[in-house]
Amino acid sequence: MAAKYVILPCNGLDKEAGCLARELALKMAAATGSEIICPVLYQTAPSRYAPLLREGSLVVIDGCATRCASRIAANNDLKIYRKITMAEEAKKRDYNPGPDWRVGAGAAAFVEDVWRSWQPVLREQEAGRAPGENAGLFAGPLEYAIHRHDKFIFRVPLEGFYFNENDCWVQVQGNRGRVGISDYLQQNLSDITFVTPPDPGTEVEQFGEMGTIESAKAVYELVSPVTGRVVAINEAILEAPELINENPYEKGWIAELELTNFEADREFLLDGRRYLEVLKEKVADFNAGK
Amino acid sequence: MPENNSRKVYVIPCSGIGKMYGLLGREAVLKTVKELRPDKAATMCLALLVYGDNEARKEIAGARCITVDGCPKLCAAKNVEHAGGRVVEMVRAVDAFRNHRGVDAGTAAHLTAAGWQIAEELAADLAAKVDRWYDAGEE
Repeated sequence: MAAKYVILPCNGLDKEAGCLARELALKMAAATGSEIICPVLYQTAPSRYAPLLREGSLVVIDGCATRCASRIAANNDLKIYRKITMAEEAKKRDYNPGPDWRVGAGAAAFVEDVWRSWQPVLREQEAGRAPGENAGLFAGPLEYAIHRHDKFIFRVPLEGFYFNENDCWVQVQGNRGRVGISDYLQQNLSDITFVTPPDPGTEVEQFGEMGTIESAKAVYELVSPVTGRVVAINEAILEAPELINENPYEKGWIAELELTNFEADREFLLDGRRYLEVLKEKVADFNAGK
Repeated sequence: MPENNSRKVYVIPCSGIGKMYGLLGREAVLKTVKELRPDKAATMCLALLVYGDNEARKEIAGARCITVDGCPKLCAAKNVEHAGGRVVEMVRAVDAFRNHRGVDAGTAAHLTAAGWQIAEELAADLAAKVDRWYDAGEE
């Protein structure tokens, strides 16, 4: 049986990002048999939608950075299953929403692409799988920047990943974040022997502990780059911690969190390019220390 | 309020999602403000007013507003008035069907050719209303 979603989209007027949010909501509703909540009517008559919200998982679709739909959900303490922000989706795809209020061919193709990327996530719920299995949601980095030093090669994903200065990263999709450690840290630790991820359900603060990693050289306390609740862990690394050595940004991810307030957290994080500069300094300092 | 003399007339539709009448009203408003009367009319996202965005409320405070609603809940008219806008015309999309009884105008997602025709007629009517209120100045 198809999963039923309740979609709370942005009002979708005036700005193209809003029109795109509206188009995605309509496309998603048609494809999944989901119901759409009128954001204005919901705010004025919430009881009208109460039965729907009890039965279905809530997908919030924001258009522009004002994030009206998210605010309406937050004001009403709604539990969000997935959050999609069209402005962020556009940034990821290097698509520039213009002033055109009609959804033309380019915009339609963009919405189709966004929908295609979210379909695997929704299918997983239909299959009753855990959210941590969202392989389609967290696709691997498109591009790595490389920093070479002697025989070492350090990689940093340039897009979609944010780092703290403790060499931990978060990859964000909607209100979900996948966290792990950087290439620099895994190479410093050398062969990783044990991983103790945080338990599902744990509330983690930004810069709080999110488990440990043990190698022959040291036990390292992981510092969370974001605030949120752990909703899944990477079971594969419990059996095969070397996955982190092989690729810490893809199969070596550690946990998945439902993010509480990423916009605020992001102010204290580095994007890939800035982290690359920090990494170069760390490598240089480490070398000088020798 | 003399400072309002040069202000555009706001034409504000309901969210226009979920019902065909809402979609039709929304399209008619967009055609009015983007194509027919871009120099005289402007629109505003109703959700901004509904959740209390201060800038949006400030922008329409005392301004002449034409609201266009898709269903009998009259969300646009009620919320614009509540937010401080001066609702000078209250339009219902369903009234645009007076001369088109029994026509299949489409669905909540897509208008048919007949639906677009009705939206065009509604837009023309809205443009005339904009002209009237824009030229009237403040009263």
